[in-house]
Amino acid sequence: MRELIHFELRKILSKRLTQIVFIGILLFSAFLSFSTYQNKYAFDGKSAEGTGKTAVEIDKKIAAKYEGILTDEKIRQMMDDFAPKYDLRGINAAYIYQNAMQSAAFARFADMDGHWNGLSVSDVFGDEEIKVGYVDGWLSTSKNLVRVFMALALAVIIMIAPVFSSEYEGVDRIILTSKYGRTKCATAKVIVSILIAIFSTALVTAFNCILALDFYGKEGLDCSILFASSDYVEGFIPFNITCGTLLTYQILLAFTGTLSVTGIVLFLSAISKNQIVAFVASMAFFLFPSMLPITEVDPIFRIIGLLPLYHVQAVSLMSVEQMENGLLYAVWAIPAAILFLGFGVFTSRRVFAKHQVS
Amino acid sequence: MELRTIGLTKKFGSKTAVNALDITLSNGVYGLLGANGAGKTTLMRLLCNIQNPTSGKILLNDENIAELGEKYRDLLGYLPQHFRYYPDFSALDFLLYVSTLKGLSERTARKRSKELLEAVGLWTDRTHKIRTFSGGMKQRLGIAQAMLNNPRILILDEPTAGLDPKERVRFRNLISAFSKGRIVILSTHIVSDVEFIAEDIMMMKSGEIVRFGAPKDMISEMDGRVWECMVPAALAEKYAAVYSISNLRNINSDQAILRIIGDRPPMKNAVKVRPTLEDLYLYYFKEVYEE
Repeated sequence: MRELIHFELRKILSKRLTQIVFIGILLFSAFLSFSTYQNKYAFDGKSAEGTGKTAVEIDKKIAAKYEGILTDEKIRQMMDDFAPKYDLRGINAAYIYQNAMQSAAFARFADMDGHWNGLSVSDVFGDEEIKVGYVDGWLSTSKNLVRVFMALALAVIIMIAPVFSSEYEGVDRIILTSKYGRTKCATAKVIVSILIAIFSTALVTAFNCILALDFYGKEGLDCSILFASSDYVEGFIPFNITCGTLLTYQILLAFTGTLSVTGIVLFLSAISKNQIVAFVASMAFFLFPSMLPITEVDPIFRIIGLLPLYHVQAVSLMSVEQMENGLLYAVWAIPAAILFLGFGVFTSRRVFAKHQVS
Repeated sequence: MELRTIGLTKKFGSKTAVNALDITLSNGVYGLLGANGAGKTTLMRLLCNIQNPTSGKILLNDENIAELGEKYRDLLGYLPQHFRYYPDFSALDFLLYVSTLKGLSERTARKRSKELLEAVGLWTDRTHKIRTFSGGMKQRLGIAQAMLNNPRILILDEPTAGLDPKERVRFRNLISAFSKGRIVILSTHIVSDVEFIAEDIMMMKSGEIVRFGAPKDMISEMDGRVWECMVPAALAEKYAAVYSISNLRNINSDQAILRIIGDRPPMKNAVKVRPTLEDLYLYYFKEVYEE
């Protein structure tokens, strides 16, 4: 079996398309991280201003000043520190960006002119204890990861779609007349597909996390995502979770997403006559939920949201519900992935073993 | 060992590719002759259990091959008519991969791969990627993979397609040496391929075996049905349209010799000649080609 796995791995990894996809996704990650980092802007409200590395340093310095539990005093202090010193000429102050902390504060506690709107922390966040700090780096990473994981799912489809279907283009007659062609070979194909999905996800995740650590450092992992600048859709996850928890869920959902995709693609690969059909069918299945007119508040989203597309998008699925035990509804992605994968593993092996050469 | 088909039928929609076939094959080399579309490939796929029969069954020593599964495939070697390789694999890698599929240990796989690559003349090209191989080289590699597990049942679908004359002779010798104590079935429409090595010949037409027997016996049935006659070269084409011609040879600008298959002498000067398997083939498949 080990040798069969080795050969099946070689079949996938020796393909030029696989190599291009691997390199492509790493380059895409690097480009996204670097451009986000370079485009960072911050102004401390007094004299320091800059982009890229300077902006990150300014934001970190400001975050350090307010670090800890968010209080009404800190809010008032922020409103004073970042009060607009020029005529806004009718622009809503909530949309003015000086730095990450100012943006987060103004989005919730400022009126149109940039003055305190009179709301207290408990008015906005209820009884939740909001820990503030430098969350901008991790939230940028989380935002980028949505795109990266989406590309990763497509990459997994490209790599796995030919696993069975390409054999139907001529090698099936040799495989299926061999002693282990219908049994161990099919199993090896399934194992290799799962390994490829896990390895790709782990590699891409590790690569992005290393870049994030290098660009932004470790700060902010224990801070709440709720006090985020208005740029971040992650800030709309209505639960008081930390950046660390957000990333943990997001990475978990990336794995469940790629494994769910693997299950579906294995099935479609086994039933498709050739690899193009398998590829197109897999892409269509993966992307079709995006065309459904269903929002996160729709009760049916609790089911639809467990489709792999929403695993990799993460934010929608993480917005559904926080259960009494503190876990998010998104943990249901785990049994969903087991179901998708189990279905794919079982059916693909069976279909391949019973395949009729034409 | 005995391989038997009972009422074996395969239909594709309204077309019957194999029609209620009852044949029994024991150890030996069998040549399956037939025109394109006669049902040879379908029969071979049924024998390899990669297509399910519409009705009927195939028994190996009285056991249904569909139920034997792995046990049957362990005895089987198959060269398909058309198949693909992994272009990025070398010849040796491909054989090692197929060996693994066939359940050979790594040591045996390497030994058999070397033996077979030498036998088919590919040893010096063993590390080259298959994408660089010519059609003939790929065909030889296909023959090698089919024989990796020393199969007791070897099924070869058009094994000599793409081989040059020297390679075909080498192939025939390889099969002759290999065939002892095994069932070897090879399909072709190149008559000379089976004439030398097949102990029995099956002539297949429209999904049925129309003749089954030793080449010598079958050829003897053609005694008195093959004629040669000299005709004016200008009329040769005209005669070819009327008679079943197995050969036309111009001997000079005015005269041509026709080899004609027919139950009666086609003309007064016709001379009875010794028939060959090719004559027999043309005798049975005349209408197919006329169609």
